[in-house]
Amino acid sequence: MEKAKILIVDDDADLTEALKTTLESQRYAVVTASDRTEGMEKVRAEKPDLVILDVMMSTWQDGFEMARELKKEPASSDMPILILTAVKERTGIGFKSTAGDPSWLPVDGFLDKPVEPETLIDEVERLLSQKA
Amino acid sequence: MKMESIAENSRLVKRAYWLIKLRWAAILFLVAGVFVCSNMLCITLKDFALYCIAAVLALYNMTVLLVLNHLTRGNSKAHCPAVKKIINVQISADLLILAVLLHFSGGIENPFAFYFIFHMIIASILLTVLESYLQATFAVLVFGLLVLLEYQQLIPHYCLKGFTPECLHRDGLYVLGTFFVFTTALYLAVYMASYIAVRLRRAEYGYREANILLRQKDRIKNEYVLRVTHDIKGHLAAIQSCLGVVVNKLTGPLNDRQEDLIGRAYARTVKLTGFVRELLRLTQMRLSNKLQMDDFSLSNTIRSSLAAVQGKAEEKCITLTSDIVSSADTIFGNQFAIEETITNLLLNAVKYTPENGSVDLSAKEDDDFVLIEIKDTGIGIPQEELPNIFDEFFRASNALKLERDGTGLGLSIARHIVERHGGQIDVESRLGEGTTFSLRLPRLGKVATANAAGNREQTNCTIKEKTCEEHKGRIQSRQKHSEANQLA
Repeated sequence: MEKAKILIVDDDADLTEALKTTLESQRYAVVTASDRTEGMEKVRAEKPDLVILDVMMSTWQDGFEMARELKKEPASSDMPILILTAVKERTGIGFKSTAGDPSWLPVDGFLDKPVEPETLIDEVERLLSQKA
Repeated sequence: MKMESIAENSRLVKRAYWLIKLRWAAILFLVAGVFVCSNMLCITLKDFALYCIAAVLALYNMTVLLVLNHLTRGNSKAHCPAVKKIINVQISADLLILAVLLHFSGGIENPFAFYFIFHMIIASILLTVLESYLQATFAVLVFGLLVLLEYQQLIPHYCLKGFTPECLHRDGLYVLGTFFVFTTALYLAVYMASYIAVRLRRAEYGYREANILLRQKDRIKNEYVLRVTHDIKGHLAAIQSCLGVVVNKLTGPLNDRQEDLIGRAYARTVKLTGFVRELLRLTQMRLSNKLQMDDFSLSNTIRSSLAAVQGKAEEKCITLTSDIVSSADTIFGNQFAIEETITNLLLNAVKYTPENGSVDLSAKEDDDFVLIEIKDTGIGIPQEELPNIFDEFFRASNALKLERDGTGLGLSIARHIVERHGGQIDVESRLGEGTTFSLRLPRLGKVATANAAGNREQTNCTIKEKTCEEHKGRIQSRQKHSEANQLA
């Protein structure tokens, strides 16, 4: 069976490459985008099964805003979103406890940057199996 | 500049309140003085008039208090001129009242006339130099007028019988002499007091300027550090992720030499990331003015902290126990930060405790605080290094020998967090025997205290780890499992 398609939206090209390689090693199809606009375009064009989002791109909350936008659109509202960020230390927010609160942070998973390949794969598998 | 004027304003308001307090004291002193002079020293006084003046003074003081309260109740902005006016009016009114008081108690015969000097000193402290001299002139004029009118017998004179042998208000030389000394004393008092006050004010202003500048500089520096560290972290995350992919052989097999070197690079990157993370955390703690605080359950927090270090403890066969008294459960604070602190202290304890040792956590109530103790049977801290243990980048000499890598920031962060909560962190240690860190964190308000008192019995939950042998067996089997995987 064809494995799922994953979209990575992150403005750090090197990090994106590492994530892409990690996921491709598990035979996932990976599409990438470097900002929010491109990300939204790819969502519509490629119809991925899961999105991995960086929080801080051009503005510090780009990722959050894109997550809200995705959840609003009917076509992508049930697509799992995994937030990948380094802002935990900066904001002091325990993301884990607020993940899933649809009004504030409409995401399904959260991982702290940098993430171990194994952790990333586990989390992606968990989210995809939840959806199925 | 705006901050400046607000600070200036609040200082003025404080002074205005100070003046009111002084006046209450003066009223008490007046009533007591009249009572003693008239009833015990048998000096003839117009008691009734004097008590009336005391009453008027009290009424007037009350009014000033109300006006001031009313003025400062609203947003305390731009009250400066109003408050200044109030202070000026008050001092003038005080001078008038003192003159009336003197009139009913012997006029120039009464040595209390020299109490005008106090008004001059107060004026010099609170008002500008010019205003102080104007007040002095006003005092001299009022007192001079009183003395003149009594001398000319245009108003009655009440002799201080029992204090002075005879009435002196008609004695030209005495009146002139006393008035001369009075006038010079007043002006000299203003001169000296304002000389000192102006210098002090100038110095204070300088200090304030310097302080503001310093704080600004510190802020800029902190923001700079924050941005730089954050950028460094971004690069590190990319490096670590790329290396991680190779180390995990997701790009294909590596030969032994490659695996060894890339593994080393990867391990160092992980350590560097940790270091940068702590540095960033410390700066952020210092930079943010407020921690968001809520009531939260301590036992839940401790449970997740214990879960976070359990694996590390198991690896070294360290017994990990916890004992939380249920009445000490609720804490007011930032859960994220407290959990971080407890986890870090537990990790430290595990790190510096040799195999087969133990780490015990206990939490109990202690007045308005919860006392959390983390006790280990580790290598301890040398006595002479204990005072420095919370300093940034400081690491105990024996810890340094045991574990070369370490940031020396963990305990500074812990102290920052605990002090932010209005708590306290302490350490006790014996070299080679173990260390105990104790955290004192403020508890929830009255409601929780009452509940806790009603439910006094202690439910202790003790988590005890699996026996060491059992655990070692598990690790071995896991290793075999992974070897088998690799072979396949």
